Amino acid sequence: MVLVYLAFALLLFMFGAVIMSLEILSSNLMSPYFGGSVYIWGSIISSFMVHFSIGYVLGGYLAKRAFKVSLFTFLLAVSAVWVLFIPQMHAPACNFIADRIVDVRAGSLAAMNILFFFPITIMAMVSPYIIGILTHYHRDSSWTAGLVLFLSTLGSFVGTNLTAFFLIDWFPVSRIVAGLGWICLAASLLVLSFRLDRKLGRASRIRL
Amino acid sequence: MNKSIHMPCLCRIAIILFLLIGTPKAAIAESEKTLYEGDSIYNHITIRQAGTNRCMIFGRHRDQRQTCMSIPRPDESVFEYTAMMFVGFRLLPDTRNVCLIGLGGGYIPTVFRMHLPQVRLQSVEVDPLVVRLAKEHFSFQLAAGHALSVTDGRQYLRRTPEKFDQIWIDAFNSDYIPAHMTTREFLELCRARLTRNGIVVQNVHNSNQLFDAQVTTFRSVFRYVYVFEGTNSSNSIIVAAREPLYAPPRFCGEQCRSRIGPIDLVRESRKFNPTPAIRKERILTDDFNPANLLLNRK
Repeated sequence: MVLVYLAFALLLFMFGAVIMSLEILSSNLMSPYFGGSVYIWGSIISSFMVHFSIGYVLGGYLAKRAFKVSLFTFLLAVSAVWVLFIPQMHAPACNFIADRIVDVRAGSLAAMNILFFFPITIMAMVSPYIIGILTHYHRDSSWTAGLVLFLSTLGSFVGTNLTAFFLIDWFPVSRIVAGLGWICLAASLLVLSFRLDRKLGRASRIRL
Repeated sequence: MNKSIHMPCLCRIAIILFLLIGTPKAAIAESEKTLYEGDSIYNHITIRQAGTNRCMIFGRHRDQRQTCMSIPRPDESVFEYTAMMFVGFRLLPDTRNVCLIGLGGGYIPTVFRMHLPQVRLQSVEVDPLVVRLAKEHFSFQLAAGHALSVTDGRQYLRRTPEKFDQIWIDAFNSDYIPAHMTTREFLELCRARLTRNGIVVQNVHNSNQLFDAQVTTFRSVFRYVYVFEGTNSSNSIIVAAREPLYAPPRFCGEQCRSRIGPIDLVRESRKFNPTPAIRKERILTDDFNPANLLLNRK
């Protein structure tokens, strides 16, 4: 089970960090097309909240249905590939929207959802999914939920500060976003290679 | 016994402290009056009056960006940079229209209204509260030939089909700047909205690394970039053009006006520095833009 815990800890920390890093970077992606006002931050935060909400429900649902860890990490890999393409997608998408929607609030909301709905919704599934899977094993969710949220939030803290205080100063935004995509893809494929379904199945005697 | 000995000493110390610290504060409080304090969706705004000068202050500290106006003489430039921006008229004296991004208290439109009635002025201000306060406290009014758009400066330039002889950018705080208006792509948009001999005039603080990055970025877009340095402030003016009609240091010479109201254009022109000390910085783009981090680096 040690490998399972390590793999889950890696996913929680990494995806927690990447989600917040993308949230910080999205203001740089939006401001050339919709301005740098508080409206942009309203759009960014509210969009991410919607993506989180849907992701939490779906993550919990997948855990309840004992969705295989391998399939789940494959989904995470697909979301990572989407992130890899954001630098190519964002300029044409934002130009298209800004030319058609004059209101910067509606425009930035539309752009945020087109670019980020798919990857952030999937990434938000990580915490509830892992809580659900480990609860099957432990028959108790209290300590598990606390640890899972701790690791995910710690990742978010690191992702936020690293991006806002250092990465934006060192690299172009497109390269940071692509780098985040590669990190997510590598973490997903690494965890996929661990074949955790068999280990969890043996340990918990539950069918996964 | 001890008490009786110590009390007079404490009283003396208290009186000395009051004289040292209390009196100047009291004097400031007497001479300064707060006319408005509140928050918009963009800024914390305070309007203060000290003597005959009324200032709109952005942020919570007095040393942050402010725009001031002399109430009895509203065309008199309280700050050095506002007068410096008018050197644009020494490069292009026959300017017919100007786009001003950043309204503040409306000092610049007031000078246009009083002394440049033939020039059409398009002001752009992102904050509706700034517009309201400029009208209420600084007697800002739209003159004939003047227009105002309440929107983001970059979005305005993106949507307008109009071309301008001069685009003036005065939208930056000393502690925060709209980063999307510092980039090469933004300056390319400005260039596309200029007439053939048109110029961009931008106010910047020269005490941080953002200044170096801004000049470097201007040089990547415009063939001619001129820096004017304030003599009693840390403000500089960047003037950029593709094909300047009258370039520094000769400007338009005797052929054009030497004053606009109380602003001495010849004196402001002398602040041109042909060899400004610019440190090596990367060009700011929409993709690479640590503008607000550079702003805080000396």
